[in-house]
Amino acid sequence: MVLPPVAVVAVFIGLPVGAAIAYTLGKTGGPNSTVALFAQRQHVAHHGVTLGAYREVLGNAHVRTDLWATVWVTLVTVVCVVLLSWAIGLYLRLSDTWIARVVSALSVVPLFIPVVIASYAILTFYAATGFMKTLAYHVGWHSFPTLGYTLTAVVIGEVWVNVPFGVLMMSSGLNSVPNALIEAARDSGASLPRTVRSVLLPMNVIPTVIVATFTGIYVLGSFTVPYLTGPSAPNLMGVSMQQFFGSFNQPQQAEVMAMIVFVLAAGIGTIYVWANVRASKRASSTT
Amino acid sequence: MSAVEHQGVALGDLEQAELPVARANRRRRPTVRSIGFHALGIVLVAALLLFMIGPLLWLMLRAFSGLWQFPQFLPSHWTLQWWRSVFDDKSLGNSMKLSFEFAPIVTFASAAICLPAAYAFSRLNFPGRRVLLVSLFATNAFPKIGLYISMAGVFYSLNLMGTFLGVVVVQLIGTIVFMTWIPTAAFSSIPRSLEEAARDVGAGPLRVFFRVTFPLAAPGIFVAMILSFLAAFDEAQGTFLVGIPNYITMPTEMYTLVLNYPEQAAAVFSILLAIPSVVLMSFARKHVMGGKLAEGFQIR
Amino acid sequence: MKARLLAITVAVLVFVPAALSATYAGGHVKKANAGTTIVVYASGDVNVQNLWQNNIIPHFEKANKGIYVKFIFSEHGTDDGTTLARIGAAVKGRHWPGIDLVDGGLVTTLALAGLNQPVSKATAANVKKVNPDLLAPVKGAAIPYRGSSVVLAYNSDKVSSPPRTLSALLDWIRANPGKFTYNSPNTGGSGYSFAETVVDSLLSPAILKQMDQGYDPSLQSNWKPGLDLLHSLNKYMYGNGVYPNGNAAVLQLLGQGQIWVAPVWSDQSLTALKTGQLGPNIKLTQISNPSFTGGAAYLAVPKTARHKKVLYKFVNYILSPAAQQMIVDVMAGFPAIDIKYMGDSIKQKFQDVSANTLRPTYQTKMGNDFKAAWQQSVP
Repeated sequence: MVLPPVAVVAVFIGLPVGAAIAYTLGKTGGPNSTVALFAQRQHVAHHGVTLGAYREVLGNAHVRTDLWATVWVTLVTVVCVVLLSWAIGLYLRLSDTWIARVVSALSVVPLFIPVVIASYAILTFYAATGFMKTLAYHVGWHSFPTLGYTLTAVVIGEVWVNVPFGVLMMSSGLNSVPNALIEAARDSGASLPRTVRSVLLPMNVIPTVIVATFTGIYVLGSFTVPYLTGPSAPNLMGVSMQQFFGSFNQPQQAEVMAMIVFVLAAGIGTIYVWANVRASKRASSTT
Repeated sequence: MSAVEHQGVALGDLEQAELPVARANRRRRPTVRSIGFHALGIVLVAALLLFMIGPLLWLMLRAFSGLWQFPQFLPSHWTLQWWRSVFDDKSLGNSMKLSFEFAPIVTFASAAICLPAAYAFSRLNFPGRRVLLVSLFATNAFPKIGLYISMAGVFYSLNLMGTFLGVVVVQLIGTIVFMTWIPTAAFSSIPRSLEEAARDVGAGPLRVFFRVTFPLAAPGIFVAMILSFLAAFDEAQGTFLVGIPNYITMPTEMYTLVLNYPEQAAAVFSILLAIPSVVLMSFARKHVMGGKLAEGFQIR
Repeated sequence: MKARLLAITVAVLVFVPAALSATYAGGHVKKANAGTTIVVYASGDVNVQNLWQNNIIPHFEKANKGIYVKFIFSEHGTDDGTTLARIGAAVKGRHWPGIDLVDGGLVTTLALAGLNQPVSKATAANVKKVNPDLLAPVKGAAIPYRGSSVVLAYNSDKVSSPPRTLSALLDWIRANPGKFTYNSPNTGGSGYSFAETVVDSLLSPAILKQMDQGYDPSLQSNWKPGLDLLHSLNKYMYGNGVYPNGNAAVLQLLGQGQIWVAPVWSDQSLTALKTGQLGPNIKLTQISNPSFTGGAAYLAVPKTARHKKVLYKFVNYILSPAAQQMIVDVMAGFPAIDIKYMGDSIKQKFQDVSANTLRPTYQTKMGNDFKAAWQQSVP
């Protein structure tokens, strides 16, 4: 019963991933013979494997700058998304008015707007003739920075795109905390911040980890937002990969960068798995 | 009533059955009622309006602007000319239609192959269960741009290139994580005792599944289907790789439309392309906000 | 309640496409019951799309009843890598790639990889009208079908006398910070041309010729002075070093008045002036010493394309004086065939300039490495 989806993934993704890994190590035969036909600056392994491609990519100072920019943007985005999701999730949990309904509707809007349009909208909003600059001009702040085409715009765009998932996740997690617990804490005299810190926070470590890891993995490999809103340099890894593959005609180097992104994403993934395993162990040990 | 009759009543009542936490939470929410909290809420709404909706509104205004110079807030000259020029362009309609044909088919196909697997992941405790679940997730983390050439080779050798089924497969790959993880959690959250009770009363396994398990898991499955639909809908490069020449969908057109045309025309396209998603949202929002999502991503 | 919601969703998902297809019937899917369908893929800017979709294809179909042309267009470069993958895998495995004729930057890569079907004057007679020098860089495996040149566009309201030489242009840039930019070379040819021209001005003619004709990575250290010069211009660029993505984006900035001078494609800007996207205050000029580059755009027939006879007929048509006239009129491009085959008005207009006398660009692989070098040393 489990076989169909596993088989689909194994055949259509697993095999190509295997071929890609072989290509980064210099094997240009078999499934890689097509790409080897038109690639330039390849490192070919005549016997065994070669690490030449890895050495070239990792030794390239600009690729390292791009990598660092990607990591930096990812970290900032994750922190912002987690904080925003918590803030909105908490407000939704603790309030029952029409304001809460408006907040919940507004915060999920980005989920349903295609990423291309969202990026374009954010670019024009923060551009040199955009809303923020216009507003600043009218209040007399003429030297308001133009955020379009900067890494800040990329962070804003990525946060915009990822907040809905974060809010859904956190509000779902916060909702599963029984009312009785919160009431008990309040009744015993705990202030609101104390309640949050002692009751809601510990019970929602897993959803927080989920939000952080999924946002992190998404931003690491993202292309559209940085392509449309980001600076000419440094680029995020997704844009860089596309450049190496499509413009510079260096697919092997692009595959090496894909491997680097994959390893980083896998690293984030293991944090997530570890957190889950620890939580389920703790749950089973207390029964 | 006897135990069996109790269970029979339970079976009949299961349409209205709820899990204990949800029922308890509905009784009374511990809300904060101070003025300060409400004021905070208003601030939050204003900030969200600016941050989330602002860019969209700003773009939408451009669709109607004839002349707009910095630093004005609004266009000095309104016009509908851009709408006219966009509707004169026929090529947009076909790709939109194809996008809406593929996404639902992919969602249902994904459900068909993944839901049985999700049930197995949930109910059977076979070795390597967690490894398989995680590897389904991990393989999706590899940036697809590096895979297209090899994928093309696989598709060619299976005679799927340029076919309807080929595009369905390529979009389906991106939905597998949603369609296995979330329903697995949804199924896991249903107490086995309910299923056992139904079986004790004499219901066959299929009847148990459709009358007991499925209705209780439905909200989670629904969420998974929404996310899968969106993932299939937004799939661009893979669809382009496999779909040439007959199956070109909307996302691939979007780059052209948004980047190549004057700003105002791009704004018109953006509005048109966002409408279908907004329509979907208004149907799905209540359930997506409801709350099974977090459980969907926990590995047990 | 849940079942009802599920039913509503299913209804929406089925009803919406039906409604949409009723509203937008047709598009470009032509169902030919009898006759041949060939598939053309073009990648570039919108004026290229217009040329194919509204001019070349309808005229060809009208003159050849029974032949249908399906047209696929993708924005400059976005899908080229994927298309290359598709064609490569197809030709290697001897399958039909789904595309019969290709127009775009990827054509020269296909040609150099040996994935194209060479088209000679034996199969398409009009090929003999094309200057053989244009066929050399692609080893005869691609057919040039139009020419274009990069020119300098300027806002005549703000710039009373535009710079006429490269050094004058560089001085102008330094004297007017923030009013000039060019797109990054890997996203569009106009910016690529500017960057290459600046670098070429510091190369010896012999080395430049080598770079135009072949691929020799050892020559690339000669780019350093030019790239350093470009790097020094960063702070004088629009937005303190913003290089837009794509030719069209630069045209937009020019049209909005955010920049006053920019390198642009001649055909794209002339079309934009005609449609009003650029106001009448935008004028064009050419610089010298050295001039911007130009060259031909190429077509390719993948080795495993279908209906080759029909394709040769199509290529022959595109190289005919009638179709080349269309390229001049509709797209303001240069004809790829020798102007002696064209009408008198064209002969006069292009007396000094034609696709084979424009200053050539680097060989494809050198050009790719140049784009990489720019990305890594300039912005």
